[in-house]
Amino acid sequence: MKYGCFVILLFQIIKSCINIFFSLKELFYLSYLILPISTVTILNYYLISANFKLKTEGGVRKYYKSFYLSLENILIFLRRKTEVNFCKKISVIVLTVLLAVTVASGAAFAQEKVIKIGTLFPLTGSVALAGTRCKAAVEAAVEVINNAHPEIQVPLAGQEGILDGYKIVLVHADHQGKADIAKAEAERLFNQEKVYSIIGCYNSACTAPASLVAEREGKIFMCGCSSSAALTERGLEYFFRMAPTDQTESLEFCEVMEWMNEAKGANVQTIGIIYENTEFGKHAADEGKAAAAAAGFEVVADVPFSPGATNMNSEVQTLKAKNPDVVFGACLGGDYTLWVRTMKQMDWLPKMCLNYCTGYQDPVITQQLGDDANYFMGGTGYAPEFAELMPAVAAVEKIYEDMVDVPFDSDSIQEAVAVLILAQAIEKAGTLDYDAVRDTLYANEWDSPLSMGGKVAFVPGGQNSKAMSMITQLQGGEYKRVYPVDLATDEVVFPMIPWNER
Amino acid sequence: MFFQIAIDGLLTGMVYALVASGLSLIWGVMDVLNFAHGEFLMLGMYVSYWLGFLMNLDPLISWIASGVFCFLLGVLTYKLIIQHTLSGPSLSALLATFGLSMMLKNIALNRFSPNFRILTGTLLDGKRIFLGNIVLPLPQLITSIFALVVVFIIYYIIKRTRLGWAIQATAMDKSAAELMGINTEKIFLLVFGLGGLCVGIAGGLLPSYLAVHPEVGGLFSLIAFVCVAMGGFGSIPGALLAALLIGLVEALSGFYIAPVFKYVAVFGLYLLIVMVRPKGLFGW
Repeated sequence: MKYGCFVILLFQIIKSCINIFFSLKELFYLSYLILPISTVTILNYYLISANFKLKTEGGVRKYYKSFYLSLENILIFLRRKTEVNFCKKISVIVLTVLLAVTVASGAAFAQEKVIKIGTLFPLTGSVALAGTRCKAAVEAAVEVINNAHPEIQVPLAGQEGILDGYKIVLVHADHQGKADIAKAEAERLFNQEKVYSIIGCYNSACTAPASLVAEREGKIFMCGCSSSAALTERGLEYFFRMAPTDQTESLEFCEVMEWMNEAKGANVQTIGIIYENTEFGKHAADEGKAAAAAAGFEVVADVPFSPGATNMNSEVQTLKAKNPDVVFGACLGGDYTLWVRTMKQMDWLPKMCLNYCTGYQDPVITQQLGDDANYFMGGTGYAPEFAELMPAVAAVEKIYEDMVDVPFDSDSIQEAVAVLILAQAIEKAGTLDYDAVRDTLYANEWDSPLSMGGKVAFVPGGQNSKAMSMITQLQGGEYKRVYPVDLATDEVVFPMIPWNER
Repeated sequence: MFFQIAIDGLLTGMVYALVASGLSLIWGVMDVLNFAHGEFLMLGMYVSYWLGFLMNLDPLISWIASGVFCFLLGVLTYKLIIQHTLSGPSLSALLATFGLSMMLKNIALNRFSPNFRILTGTLLDGKRIFLGNIVLPLPQLITSIFALVVVFIIYYIIKRTRLGWAIQATAMDKSAAELMGINTEKIFLLVFGLGGLCVGIAGGLLPSYLAVHPEVGGLFSLIAFVCVAMGGFGSIPGALLAALLIGLVEALSGFYIAPVFKYVAVFGLYLLIVMVRPKGLFGW
């Protein structure tokens, strides 16, 4: 069957070449033209090489027949009754059917109205947990868009698909938390997988290069939760981000400190910043320092660390030695747990601890840390405790929970918002033209029941100007709203309860 | 403050020593670098975590199960993979263990998800000893003492028992050892098992203060490689000394220079030592 293998291999090569050089729509028309010709030519080659004594010419040219001659050869072969081995004959018929089915399925795929969207998240590596959740959030949003869910109070949920029946198909990619892989995967998604747009990347360090690939291609990049403010300060035209930035959160943190000093007599003046030494961490720290300087607070400890470390002893000892009143934390996933537990082992806590978009917002990490997680504070875009403020979330959250067994968190929900906003824009633009969709995204204010505040609107650079978060404090394992005062449900516990009194 | 930092560093270094001693043993006897060492540690941690989570077994007890599990894992790795690669080029064993590490990590990702798992409410959880201004976290202290004891036991076995002499003989000259009647196959099997046992014990105790996740072994194994290379391939005292040195340098540079430079200092020290003594501190 080596000829059979050869035929299938050749067919795949042709298909891949077509995939690389033509878009989906062109492939649909080309498949009718190229595939029957190549099918006949390949079969002819098979028959001649198998030495079936058919019509041949000498030399190399013997394999290159006209379409008509090739077809004639096949017909002659099929009519023969004696010389040809029955099995070989059957194999030719099976190959023909196989190729025909592949052509048919290719055509069927092309006929089905689909929009391929790529997701690019860290599915392995130290922040794989967050990446897996972001991916599930996108899948939940796509389920809402593709199928009719009249019970869900989210735009597009009541209908099936967008643009009169187009369904979204997701193509998942993993950047492992590495910027170079994110760039390569973005290129693969656009050039080989032919995705319409990419949703991603969770890590700001990965979003930066991946979104530049989209910009170069003139295609839309939807960013859910990467929080580095620098991402939307690059003047990109096709980049849109849903979540509030570190700048917004830093200003909020200082506002909370001022409020605590005025309303509660907290007398907090000094700040320590602990952050991972990455694009996200460094920008968060820069914004934190700028906001602190503007508000008149002194940054006494500046503690960057390498993510994924085996211990954080020296980091915590440095904080302990400087003993700031408040600590701003930018520690993701496992580093957050390590940091909290090391503080416990070193028997030290600041008076108040405010966290960026990090491990603090992860409900599983909170659950795992148990009582140790309590009294930490942070900016929160969504927590299950916000149900009364965002009633539409519950139904989408149910679909999401079926996939990952946890409720939405501040990060993952933003990825779902990203897909929903993109789908709404395509629907409103009435076309898949990139420029039209981009202009529509900028021109409108979008209903977004999954966002705090319920609206999404973009300013040049792609930042969602309606992005909001609230300051919460973990009390009894629940995210209690403590600031702004008009939306607060609970009193802030200040200072944090020492480890030995819990 | 200096003493506090130094003690933190030494406690960390002792755990590195236990992880590194298994690696050193395998290298010294078999000339095989086990790239899956970090993943053995990760699986050992999972064993301890699940025993704690499902059966309420404290890491102070479940380290035995982790040790046995990793011993068997080591034996199986040798029997199923390493044994077949030893007759090929020397790179094939190394690449085989690299493949094994990828496989184990991805199996853990697939089976246990990337979730960070933390054991709370253990016997030592949150307990500390105060010596004046110095705080000694009990989970680290006990883990480090265990690590030191296990390293000494392994060293004793190698140096003072007939089995250890057989291991040393095999390491020095396999053919000569066979002529003396030593079953080198069994020695190899045992050495791989012992390597697994060391890392398994470390893995069994670490969940008392570290979160368990599929990537947890990565940096530990990298530092263990540095310990082995710095201490001299195959030398357990060398690995112990190097591990303590690395722990100290890591803690002191992290505090007095900047936390972000602590690994720069560790790897810088390694480069410096191999430039002066290419075979490591105790290498021959």
